[in-house]
Amino acid sequence: MSTSDQDDGKRRIRLFKGLYLTPLQLVLAVAGILALFLVPEIEGVSTRLSLTTIHQGILWGMAAVGLNLLLRHTELVSFGHAAFFGAGAYGGAIVVNFLGVDAGLVVLFGGVTLALFFSLLIGWLVAEYRDIYFALLTLAFGQVLFAIALGWGTLGQDEGLFLRAGGSFTGDPPTLFALELGLRQYRILLYYLTIVLLVASLLVMWRLINSPFGNALDAIGQDRTRARFIGIPVKRYVWAAFVVSGVYGGIAGALYGMRRLQVTPEGTLEVFRSGEILFMAILGGFQTLLGPVIGGIVLRWLLENARFVTEHFELLTGLVLIFVVFFMPQGILGSLPKIAAGTRKRARNPGMVGGDLSTLGTMFADAARDAARTIKILLFGVK
Amino acid sequence: MAVAAADLLLQSVTDPSGWVIHTLNGLFRGFILFMIASGLTIIFGVLGILNLAHGEFYALGALLFVSLASYLTGLVVAPTDPASLLLFGVLVLVAILVAAAVLIPVSAVIETVLVRKIYDRDEVYQLLLTFGLLLVLIDLMKISWGPGTHRPDAVGGESLNQVVDVIPMEEWFGFSYSSYAIFSIFAGAVVFLALLWFFDRTKTGRIVRATAINREMATAIGVSSDRVFTLVFAMGGFFAGLAGAIHSGSAIAASADMGGDALVLSFVVIVVGGLGSIRGAFVGAILVGVLSRWMTWQQPALELAAPFALMVVVLLVRPEGLYGTWGEIE
Amino acid sequence: MTGDIQPTDTAAKGFDRRTMLKAAGGSALAVALAGCSDLLSGSEDDGGNGGEEIPDEPIKAGLQTFTEGAASVLGLQAQYGAEEAVSRINDADGVAGREIQLDVVHEADAHQENYNTFVEEGKDVTFGPISSGGHLSMLGEIEDSGVINVSTDGTVTTLFEEELTDPTYAFRFQNHDVMEAVSAAVTAVEQLGADNIDTYANINPNYAFGEDERRLFSAAIEALTDADEVYSGFPDLLADDMSTHVTSVVQEEPDVLFTSCWGGDATLLLDQGQGQGMPDATDIIVGPVLYGSANDYTEGDIQGNIWSGSRNFYWGFPDTDRWSPGQELFEAAQEAENTIPTAHYMSGYGAVTAWATAAEKASDIVGGWPSQEQIAATLENHGFFTPAGYHTMHESHQCYSNSHFGRMVWSDDIGGPLLEDVSVADPREVSPPPGTSSFDWLENW
Repeated sequence: MSTSDQDDGKRRIRLFKGLYLTPLQLVLAVAGILALFLVPEIEGVSTRLSLTTIHQGILWGMAAVGLNLLLRHTELVSFGHAAFFGAGAYGGAIVVNFLGVDAGLVVLFGGVTLALFFSLLIGWLVAEYRDIYFALLTLAFGQVLFAIALGWGTLGQDEGLFLRAGGSFTGDPPTLFALELGLRQYRILLYYLTIVLLVASLLVMWRLINSPFGNALDAIGQDRTRARFIGIPVKRYVWAAFVVSGVYGGIAGALYGMRRLQVTPEGTLEVFRSGEILFMAILGGFQTLLGPVIGGIVLRWLLENARFVTEHFELLTGLVLIFVVFFMPQGILGSLPKIAAGTRKRARNPGMVGGDLSTLGTMFADAARDAARTIKILLFGVK
Repeated sequence: MAVAAADLLLQSVTDPSGWVIHTLNGLFRGFILFMIASGLTIIFGVLGILNLAHGEFYALGALLFVSLASYLTGLVVAPTDPASLLLFGVLVLVAILVAAAVLIPVSAVIETVLVRKIYDRDEVYQLLLTFGLLLVLIDLMKISWGPGTHRPDAVGGESLNQVVDVIPMEEWFGFSYSSYAIFSIFAGAVVFLALLWFFDRTKTGRIVRATAINREMATAIGVSSDRVFTLVFAMGGFFAGLAGAIHSGSAIAASADMGGDALVLSFVVIVVGGLGSIRGAFVGAILVGVLSRWMTWQQPALELAAPFALMVVVLLVRPEGLYGTWGEIE
Repeated sequence: MTGDIQPTDTAAKGFDRRTMLKAAGGSALAVALAGCSDLLSGSEDDGGNGGEEIPDEPIKAGLQTFTEGAASVLGLQAQYGAEEAVSRINDADGVAGREIQLDVVHEADAHQENYNTFVEEGKDVTFGPISSGGHLSMLGEIEDSGVINVSTDGTVTTLFEEELTDPTYAFRFQNHDVMEAVSAAVTAVEQLGADNIDTYANINPNYAFGEDERRLFSAAIEALTDADEVYSGFPDLLADDMSTHVTSVVQEEPDVLFTSCWGGDATLLLDQGQGQGMPDATDIIVGPVLYGSANDYTEGDIQGNIWSGSRNFYWGFPDTDRWSPGQELFEAAQEAENTIPTAHYMSGYGAVTAWATAAEKASDIVGGWPSQEQIAATLENHGFFTPAGYHTMHESHQCYSNSHFGRMVWSDDIGGPLLEDVSVADPREVSPPPGTSSFDWLENW
């Protein structure tokens, strides 16, 4: 969805300096935001369409947008992003529990502050590493935070902390804009706040990656030595990108804590949460700005609903991920143009479907043959 | 910290058997970890893939062993004398080896059908594919063995390791310790030496190393890199399965979702040791095993954080790991 | 049966059919759930009023429990128990004529979300979870949504004592932690004598439940004896190695070892303990949830002086020739799932029973189908029977039942451990009076 403003002759509408959209993109964007705003109204249509799942999906997706800044531009795979999501969630909970403040925006601010602190610290320590070392180092820091939250009695261990008034588990939810709301109203208003923050953070991210800073990050991702050569202060820039990415995780995590009204180590800090954030970005399409949000909603929806539909929810989720790797490598959003073009072509020329089927058949036959050959070699050696 | 160290020193002088047993606890854990991590590290070293489904090979080995050992030991009566104990031991060994051997075709097929297709792809796809594989394997194991935990059937009222533990360690070493754990440590040492021998002394081992160092060159001189990759992946699966089989013969309960923790700890091991290095995995595993047991002994609260703290320290001080070679097997 | 809590509102004073029916709402259902099949005959006309407002469709119920993973050792037991209760209810013509349809979902780490989804699906009642932290995270939702949840476990000590003082819709069937931890201390003192206990050690899983158990047991044993703690280990939950803690205990040779490890952790601890001679190094091992792994032990695991609690239910107590319901439930569990029913089997069975008998009673009173508020109000101070004995859902919303403790011995007949020399503690002996917190109560012993 991120458009570069190259001059291809199409009419573009200027939203603000630097952001131009074609009429179609503008209509889609407005429709998308409207659809998000309508979710609370239509959630009753099906129990599988729940505000909770979509809201949480958006929040995880927001963290994935942050992670994607590193993944897409500096080409760094973070396997510990849950650290900042969790820091955001715990930061908010700490404000409620130990400062006794229950103004929603202060809670949010507290979460972002803690995430900022940890991303500054961890970012400084990992900024010079690359590849698998970066991935594993972020994983290790994430696990250290997880171990602290799980082991430290003050933070409630596995039970975590509550973000209800006084830290009790049945108190009132935090106030929003000084409004004391019932739970349902609180959650809907929080959801709208989330949408506003989501749109704002996407716009900010869009500006960022299309700025000289974003270009520098791309250069760092392609070749660090060359980037250093042309005068980019690599470590500082990677550090800055890391902090931005962590703050996105922190905002999302703080809102997540406010939504659930409870934060737990397993729910926000565990290594599998880090993996999920990463896979959300890839699933949705990590070469796009919006993809991680889509990926967040889809993966969250799968994880939440599959359990109620089938006891084999891991199998289902696993097959979806494998399918994405082989058939939709650009992710959901990235593959849309290709799927649309393919569908149009097939609508014009239905004979192609037969070709698709035979391609698919050949693929499975090849796989079966490979498997058979492997077993033959194992059993009888190479002839 | 200084007080704890002094305390430790004092205890080791006044009561050496405590010191020894805590170290043995660590060695047992370390050797199990080594067997898992060795597979992970050679797969990474040669194929360049971090296999997130590696822990599931370990779990599969464990569950297969539970079924096989239950069947095999069910064929004989409970051992009463040295001869029948020997027969029992042979059956357990057969169960361990067969369980691990099943992993060879399983992982080889996974490599040829799925993993081979993504060697040239961005590493995020490798992570996504192997994570998808992890979920699929977990569920297939749940379907096959059921969702809960599993132990080998009791023999004469005792669990498998209790039967083996009849062999008196006390007479030989002067203190009481699980004989099964001692044998496991021994098995781990054999695996380490066998791997060193394989990569140093055999032709196939050298071919694998050559492929790891330079794929194009190896192909140019007539090495089938496809076959090498399958071999390496199957080896990795075998050793993970072996670790699972040996471990589930000890007191642990095997379950379909036991692979996650094993995977994460193996990360720690190979990072501490240096990615792709067998010696590194060995030293890393022993360090993680022994240090984490010592730390748990002295500061029980640090049990969960200990391995990761070690990993952070090593990575910050010596980022390439203790034996880091960037993808070469040495 | 001495020392049972008497249901305060119904005053069941004897054990004849009339009072029993009266106490439990006077229905075939209550009798069926009490596990006394021979009392069933002729009680059909005691059923619900069949008021016009009672809906035709079945009752939709949801249970969240650990259906997989290492914690399924407990979770599946709860599921089997709940299913057995539901099948007995449906065989006895349902609750006020309505059958129960029970959906089961894996609780995972999404207790809040599971509960909310159940509510969205229109469930009339929900049960579960096993996880105490998970139960905590649902309470706010339950009170807001107003669909009754009867927790099977979720035994956070302070839950209904301090933090949630005036709940409406959230209930808990199982005994709370303090009862089992104090029972463990009492058992150790009874077996060894207070003067012979100088040292004790703790091995508890590294999460809030384990910490609570340690604090409660330590407070209780120090109140009863002059013993000092010589070791406290917190192995990870669902650990794959306990050897360090075993070694430390063997080195310290405490008189008493207390452990609240459960599931695979319990088998691991005892098995590794045998390997290093832990039972010989201690005079007694007491563990409130050791019997929960009854289906997984070998004979070798439980050698030594090992005593286990079984929370509020042990199927073999009292002797089956005096009290057949326990035996019948055991046989039902063996037949349906080939399993030895443990305390968690009763968690599921009792949670369903508590709600069903209260709903039936409320339905009788209102002459139609009762509202959530009416059922919730009926549940308060509601007395009912299960094969585990007599239970009272106290107005603080947690259930009080007897606490069982016995020595684990092997039985070839059932292929698992039995409890021998079972001692049964009245709730008054092992839990604080209403309105007092467990820790305050223990401090003033």
